[in-house]
Amino acid sequence: MLGTLLITSVIFTDADSIPFRTQNLDEVEIVSGTTPGRNRSVKGQAAGIDEHISVLRNVNMVRRGSYAWEPVVNNMQTERLSTTIDGMKIFYACTDKMDPVTSYVESGNLQSISLNSGLNGNPQATGNIGGSLDLRLRKAGFDAAPFHLNVLGGHEWNGHLQVYGADAALSGSRAYANLGAFRRDAGCYNTGGGSRLKFSQFHKINLFGNLGLKLTDNDILEGTVIFDRATDIGYPALNMDVATAQGLITSVSYRHLFKAASWETKAYYNHIIHIMDDTKRPDVAIHMDMPGDSRTTGLYSLLVTSVAAHDIALNYDLYYNRLFADMTMYPGGAAPMYMVTWPDVGTLNTGLALTDDICITSRQNLHLSAKLAWQQQRLNNEEGYNAQKVFFPMMKDYYHQTTGRVAAVYQFSILNSQFSIGSGWGSRAPTVTEAYGYYLNNTYDQYDYIGNPTLKNESAIELNASADSQFPILNSQFSIGADANIFLFKNYIIGHFEQRLSAMTVGAEGVKVYGNLDHATIANLSLTAGLEGRFLQLDGKVSYSSGRDNQGDALPLIAPIAWQTHLDLAKGSWSGQIEVKGNGRQRVWGIKYGETASARWAILNLSAQYRYRYLSVRAGVENLLDKFYATYADWNDIPQKGRNVYVNLTIEI
Amino acid sequence: MSIKLSDMKRINRLYPTLLGVLLIASAGSCNSNDDLGTQDIEIPGITFDGDIDCCSAEEALQVFRFLETVKIIPELSTVVDDKYKVFAYSRTGKFNVGYNDLYFVVTKKKNGNYVKNYEIKDLSPVMLMVKMNMKHSTPVSGPAQSFNDSYAAVKRAWVSFIMSSGESGSWTLGYNIEALGTKGGVEDADITVNPLPAGQDWVKSFKQGNDTYYISIVNPTDLKTGTNTLKAYVSRKSTPATTPYAIASESFRVDIDPRMPDMGNHTSPGNTPLTRQADGSYQGTVNLTMTGLWRIHFTVRDLQGNIVAGGDELKDGFSSLFWDVTL
Repeated sequence: MLGTLLITSVIFTDADSIPFRTQNLDEVEIVSGTTPGRNRSVKGQAAGIDEHISVLRNVNMVRRGSYAWEPVVNNMQTERLSTTIDGMKIFYACTDKMDPVTSYVESGNLQSISLNSGLNGNPQATGNIGGSLDLRLRKAGFDAAPFHLNVLGGHEWNGHLQVYGADAALSGSRAYANLGAFRRDAGCYNTGGGSRLKFSQFHKINLFGNLGLKLTDNDILEGTVIFDRATDIGYPALNMDVATAQGLITSVSYRHLFKAASWETKAYYNHIIHIMDDTKRPDVAIHMDMPGDSRTTGLYSLLVTSVAAHDIALNYDLYYNRLFADMTMYPGGAAPMYMVTWPDVGTLNTGLALTDDICITSRQNLHLSAKLAWQQQRLNNEEGYNAQKVFFPMMKDYYHQTTGRVAAVYQFSILNSQFSIGSGWGSRAPTVTEAYGYYLNNTYDQYDYIGNPTLKNESAIELNASADSQFPILNSQFSIGADANIFLFKNYIIGHFEQRLSAMTVGAEGVKVYGNLDHATIANLSLTAGLEGRFLQLDGKVSYSSGRDNQGDALPLIAPIAWQTHLDLAKGSWSGQIEVKGNGRQRVWGIKYGETASARWAILNLSAQYRYRYLSVRAGVENLLDKFYATYADWNDIPQKGRNVYVNLTIEI
Repeated sequence: MSIKLSDMKRINRLYPTLLGVLLIASAGSCNSNDDLGTQDIEIPGITFDGDIDCCSAEEALQVFRFLETVKIIPELSTVVDDKYKVFAYSRTGKFNVGYNDLYFVVTKKKNGNYVKNYEIKDLSPVMLMVKMNMKHSTPVSGPAQSFNDSYAAVKRAWVSFIMSSGESGSWTLGYNIEALGTKGGVEDADITVNPLPAGQDWVKSFKQGNDTYYISIVNPTDLKTGTNTLKAYVSRKSTPATTPYAIASESFRVDIDPRMPDMGNHTSPGNTPLTRQADGSYQGTVNLTMTGLWRIHFTVRDLQGNIVAGGDELKDGFSSLFWDVTL
């Protein structure tokens, strides 16, 4: 099967050799190293994947517990984002979004995480109105250091989070290999003020391996396997926890290098099993089993080349995803109640993407990207199909959609300033939950949600602009910047209260059915200022966002005014950071959509790093003043960690 | 008797299992343009002798296959005039409280083949209530009738038992048969009516004036998650009560409100009332959003919409009349 795919596929490259220069790209580096100017978590490699993602611009995290946070980019959640792992599609398996796909990898598996803001997605991305995340896997590569060993250990006192891990890399001129194993264990953490937040524990193990073979000087075969298994995960914001969240991610790729081009074809398969668990909760009205299963098989073929001033990437991708979830409820003494919550939806999606980076002059650059995708969906579970037909008697068990996106960014620099303006249009198909989800209880607004198979595609026009200027002041460099974007949606998909329907979940307020709003708007603005001296760097940032529906009412989960300032000090092997950050009081919130206002908060974090030969130590205190707080993105206002002292050690040989 | 293989293929698609039936390919040579060939049908115990009262081989095969899906009720078998055998079947071979289908076939003793024309009528279930020394009957259908053209030799009747056998009393059942001018029957055969398991309640009574009616749902075991046709019969209690209760001649409308008592009385949208059909049954639509216990509350109205029974919203705010169905 894989062999056939490899032979019949058509496209390719060395993605690493072609830098995407667009302003809309952001990246966080995970491997240790000294590349200056790269984003990096102050906790270093030992930081959790969610902490690494948090470093990215325009990103917030919806938190339902200590584990598996849901990235929000430009104030848009999973359904408006694309997440790929080295270009591979992967889909979460939990109907309650307890397992964003980023939770199935571990920091140690990754080289970096790149984020394309807005519609200007990476070639494999589809449906990325808000942005696309690509998790870049760590690969030793050929002709690197022959042997590299990285051992890390970390401890956080609040919640007794322990991190252990080791990964080794072997590299030669004809072959390379990476192997790694990681483990994280956390108990329940204390909130500010010291009270324990029940059900905030988690445990995770992760194994990964990469292998690369140079078949000839120009032909490279690579393979990846990641096995990730988290168990006993608490979700304090929800009514239930997770017994097991397990992911198996595999790929084989073949790359051919031409003189000025690279052609990579990758075939992949991943399988996620997600099993919820309410047996540890003290006050369960009805015990229920809610397993979910997601399998994706796919391939992409990417050709990257440079022709004169153009850096071109052409990508074809194809994937087939199967999503099934069901729910069995056990009322004491009576017959179990069973329903299919995702009716084994098979989605076959194929797309063609083109990006062109045009270097007009040394001070002008134009980035163009476009993608056209087509998908068909079939409901393979008859029981689930018949059940949803109760609500949509005319529905079919087969649908197809065509989506696309185009985006352009023009960048130019004048004197000490860089400017960028961009525009794009893109659409997305409804997600399986939005189209076919069945009585999915949303604990955020306490409604049961029913998918709507008759939804129209949602689309948006994006406009963005940014400006940055640097001025030398004495021996320092002062910089200011502004970045703004606005998304004008058509057929914005959100749940609508349906009075005629009766809630299923005990205690639910009612039923919402997904529908299209004629239009909606999300806008984001951020201002930054920085001062860079010889040993120090001071940065400040403030951001403002707004989201409005077709009646001018606030959309839910839109960030209030957020600010952060940090002072970085570095001298020799030492570096340190003082960070103060917070959110303003939420003045506008989605009352209509069940949101409650969040209070303002501010916290102080300290961190320090020391590097001596093979050893680097990172230590710090988060929330030094032990403030009790919850952000707007904390599901059901679960409080954040109180004071937390951590020490992380990394040994690299 | 032979039939074309093409027909056999069609039959095989309908009934993938074929037990006890032997298909023997004929040894005859095949025309190269006709690869269908011919086959003989053999059914154990049946001799196809061309008797025009009986089924053709193909018809008999259909009957035979249908009978494999039901179970015999030995108490109700009989022999008429030493010429015909009568067999009765139900889905489980047993009776339960509520609606029960009864299927009949008649065979000729001499060739074992199914008789096409016969009449089964006067179904007469009676319960003897020991302590009260009282007898009463229960709702029944009229004469048994063919219900499927592909096996018209099978006839169907029904009985809806309003009580189970037990300490309070015991049931007997009889019927009359007339096959090709010969009469016979079963008189007061002892039968056992089993109670329904918990979570099932398929027959209810209501009163209008001095009349008592019973409303029995026909297809509770066919209900599935999704949209279902719900079928019922309304029967009127006879006087004297030992006379079987025939289908009521009055027409009603039965509004339904399915609820899940274990799920906070969750309900479903799009349910439609049961209304009287040409065949005397009542049909409506019930939507069930999941498996589990569904309590289908109902309100009986006359054709002007006036409440006859139920609709009193006593218990839980819902009609006190209900059927229970557990999927």
